[in-house]
Amino acid sequence: MNRYHAIQRLMGIVDERVVIVGNLGPTSDEMRHAKHREKNFYTYGSMGLCSSIALGIALNYSYKVVSFDGDGSILMNMGTLATISRENPSNLIVLIWDNEMWGQVGRQFSHTHYQTNLEEIAQGCGIKKTITVNNEDDLERVFVEALSADSPYVIVAKIKESEYLSVAPVEPAIITYKFRQSMIQNN
Amino acid sequence: MSNWAQTIADSLKKSEISLITGVTDSSLSILINLLREDPYFSVIPASREEEAIGIAAGSYVSGRRSAIYMQSSGVGNSINALASLCIPARIPIPMIINLRGDLGEFNIAQVLMGRATPQIFDNLNIPTYVLESDVSLEDKVTGALKLCYASHQPLAICLTPLLHGGKSAR
Repeated sequence: MNRYHAIQRLMGIVDERVVIVGNLGPTSDEMRHAKHREKNFYTYGSMGLCSSIALGIALNYSYKVVSFDGDGSILMNMGTLATISRENPSNLIVLIWDNEMWGQVGRQFSHTHYQTNLEEIAQGCGIKKTITVNNEDDLERVFVEALSADSPYVIVAKIKESEYLSVAPVEPAIITYKFRQSMIQNN
Repeated sequence: MSNWAQTIADSLKKSEISLITGVTDSSLSILINLLREDPYFSVIPASREEEAIGIAAGSYVSGRRSAIYMQSSGVGNSINALASLCIPARIPIPMIINLRGDLGEFNIAQVLMGRATPQIFDNLNIPTYVLESDVSLEDKVTGALKLCYASHQPLAICLTPLLHGGKSAR
């Protein structure tokens, strides 16, 4: 599966109220290139925190919140899967784009290329709705199901790394301001 | 001795800060237990202090003010979250920090990080207020919270044994 194609496909079916938090690096770039939306929250640093930020949003929002996270990021902050399980936000979807590597910095294999299985870790944390997919059709099907599920969902999407797009504008303060304005108006 | 906790809780409420997250310690627990009893607050225990910064940031950008609680040791676990997320993204987060490593400290593991915390915050341009008594406590805490949101940056409110009595005071 190609992450950019898959992101384009998923962003084509979410409605404007769905929040998407993007992991740093190519994930946020691809989100922005695919469809720049008011409810996209891109991150540029703080690797590991994508799904924790999404949790903080989900606890205060009536609609769905999706985290476009990565294997390297989740490995840094695995405890957040336990916190997510404990808080049990029915509107949170954690989608881990698992390329089994640290892509931008030399494509060294990550632990998920070996014995570590993030879906089983999520299950071990007590998250009931989990699945691993490796093609776009299955991904779309399970994503649509997750969008109407009433419990947290963890989807591990196995992807093959490919060419990177151009780096999207890096404007953290502007994104904070615009995203927050859109959330205050709509909640 | 625990009036300090009520004062801080009241200030948080007056500033409309309702989502409280972090990793506790013995002294902070006095405050956290108070917050838990009040339905106004949601207390979200995190697995690590750095994670709590992410949760608080998410809460803020979704329109709900959030504060962090952690021991000075936890500051060491959260510096990059402050430096690469909160500060550049201009996300104000008040941090209630129990400062270890000073008068009466008994644990070597707490000394260096506790003593280094104010200087580390200084290096990050994070305003830091150290509370050593309950004199004008309400004014100091309310004033610090107001400054936090005016500056669009994280801000530290540090508690000390002179305020809360240390680990023996329950």
